[in-house]
Amino acid sequence: MAVFTRTTKNLILKIDEFFDNIDLGLLVFREGVKAYLEKDMETFNRHIQKVELLESNADKLQRSIENEMITHSILPQHKGEVSSLIDVLDEIIDTIKSSLNEFSIELPDIPASLAHNFISITEASVSAGEELIPAARAYFKSPYTVREKLLKVYYFESETDKIARKTTRIIFQEMKELDLAHKAHLRYIIHHIENISDNAQKAADLLSTMAIKIVM
Amino acid sequence: MIILFLVSGLFLGWSLGANDAANVFGSAVGSKMVTFRKAAIIASVFVILGAVIQGSGASDTLGKLGSVNAIGGSFTVALAAGITVYLMTKFALPVSTTQAIVGAIIGWNLFTGNPTDSRALTQIVSTWVSGPLLGAVFAIVLYIILKTIKKNSSIHLVRFESYIRTGLVIAGAFGAYSLGANNIANVVGVFIPAFHLKPLDLGIFTLSSHQQLFLLGSMAIAAGILTYSNRVMEKVGNNIMQLSSEAALVVVLAQALVLFIFSSTGFSSFVERTGLPPVPMVPVSGTQVAIGSIMGIGLYKGAGNINFRILGEIAVGWVLTPLFSGVLTFFSLFFVKNIFGIDTGRKTEGTVDPAIQNIQAVQTDPRISEIMHYLLPGLLIAGMAAVILYYFLERKKKKEFRKSEERFWRNLK
Repeated sequence: MAVFTRTTKNLILKIDEFFDNIDLGLLVFREGVKAYLEKDMETFNRHIQKVELLESNADKLQRSIENEMITHSILPQHKGEVSSLIDVLDEIIDTIKSSLNEFSIELPDIPASLAHNFISITEASVSAGEELIPAARAYFKSPYTVREKLLKVYYFESETDKIARKTTRIIFQEMKELDLAHKAHLRYIIHHIENISDNAQKAADLLSTMAIKIVM
Repeated sequence: MIILFLVSGLFLGWSLGANDAANVFGSAVGSKMVTFRKAAIIASVFVILGAVIQGSGASDTLGKLGSVNAIGGSFTVALAAGITVYLMTKFALPVSTTQAIVGAIIGWNLFTGNPTDSRALTQIVSTWVSGPLLGAVFAIVLYIILKTIKKNSSIHLVRFESYIRTGLVIAGAFGAYSLGANNIANVVGVFIPAFHLKPLDLGIFTLSSHQQLFLLGSMAIAAGILTYSNRVMEKVGNNIMQLSSEAALVVVLAQALVLFIFSSTGFSSFVERTGLPPVPMVPVSGTQVAIGSIMGIGLYKGAGNINFRILGEIAVGWVLTPLFSGVLTFFSLFFVKNIFGIDTGRKTEGTVDPAIQNIQAVQTDPRISEIMHYLLPGLLIAGMAAVILYYFLERKKKKEFRKSEERFWRNLK
């Protein structure tokens, strides 16, 4: 029985650590984008390294959590759903990593007048992800509160869409001085920042049904 | 020869293990909270303990229904009941061994012209209704309690499930113990008048003649659990309704409580002391109680959760079992008596049955006791060795997996 208690404790710690990784990744992404917009490349590169570390750690934890659930037959009835949730959350940190790498490789030329819009999109998109983490933690500890926590995720996701649409409109309709390739590149970068909140919404949908199932 | 006759009882025990005992852990295995192998080992050990320690209570009521007074009759009754349960199990119908043995005893009564004790019959049949009803009531109450605890405490889901799993193992062990105590009468009850063995001294404790029979019967039950109960476990666990882990615990616990109530003489006398009528010591069907408990939870959650088609199939099995078993016994007795010329029993006249006295006189054979003295400890040692071997094999498998995981991450780096 002692061995089993240790396994349970380990798994709980790993799940918590996984959530911490995603949460930190979101924070680092926000700071990374800000550093890029402020042309502070040293800080930006440090953030990229940090995100890569977090992403690799999250992958390792994901595999370890799934393995433990299978080998010790933990949460047999929720195993599939918990794995899917962890998978979707892992996609968030994957998106964060690839987005920062795109900034680093493609070095998008963001006009100073749009810096504020880019920060707003990043803030809203990251907030959607940040609001998701407490809801995901609540699924394990107080499933009755999951749905109310998810409301903010949906709110920030729609905010991200609105700001992104507005910014894209400014780029294509008001900034006549930019050539089409530049405009398309900016739209592409916006789209990638938006992906974070889209993934958060996907995870929220999943969490929502998972919570109903567990409460019933 | 007498040992050969006993084989039919062991076959019935095997059938009971494959069918009724499956219900104890059916919900736990069906909900995938406990693996089949682990469940089978725990159930086997505790069925044996229950039968040997507390087995005598329920066997008296079955004896009242009809005292089979010839070893040939006991053989046929047990064989017919065993075949009935086996056939039903083969078609994955969770039937009741109690119903099969009751049907078979009534078949014997009809064949030999003995009257069926209507009071004992009513007592037994009434538990076919009260058992599942009590199971349903217990299940609803326990389910509400568990849900309230879950809602009001912020226990991590992983930890909560681990408590549930521990609870399932403990409740399952208790259920298996109660099943052994309650249902062993079905397996070897009809042989009790025919066997009078010398006490078996095992060093720490001594087994009486009855207990030796109970031990042998419960080993047959354990063999049934280990070899053939997997299918019925899946059926009980999944087909009536999809069970959550806490519902699985409630079903196992409710079933264990009901079986315990109907086999504990201590509890019965406690009830009597409070001024209420005593609880009858009757072999209750684990199958019916388990299904009653599952239905209780289903009704609490809304009738839409219950698969009524499967329930109908099971109900058909309940009607068919005593009927089929009774008819099979009647015709089998005819063949055994008229073709093989074996005494299958006679009509009992008066209070003292000379036939029983005759059997007892013949059966106190020291050679049988001798065989038992080697057979029982041998089987016990073999069983224990198998459990220990299984434990070490499982540990080895887990260790190897952990090593391969470590290797994977090392190579990845």
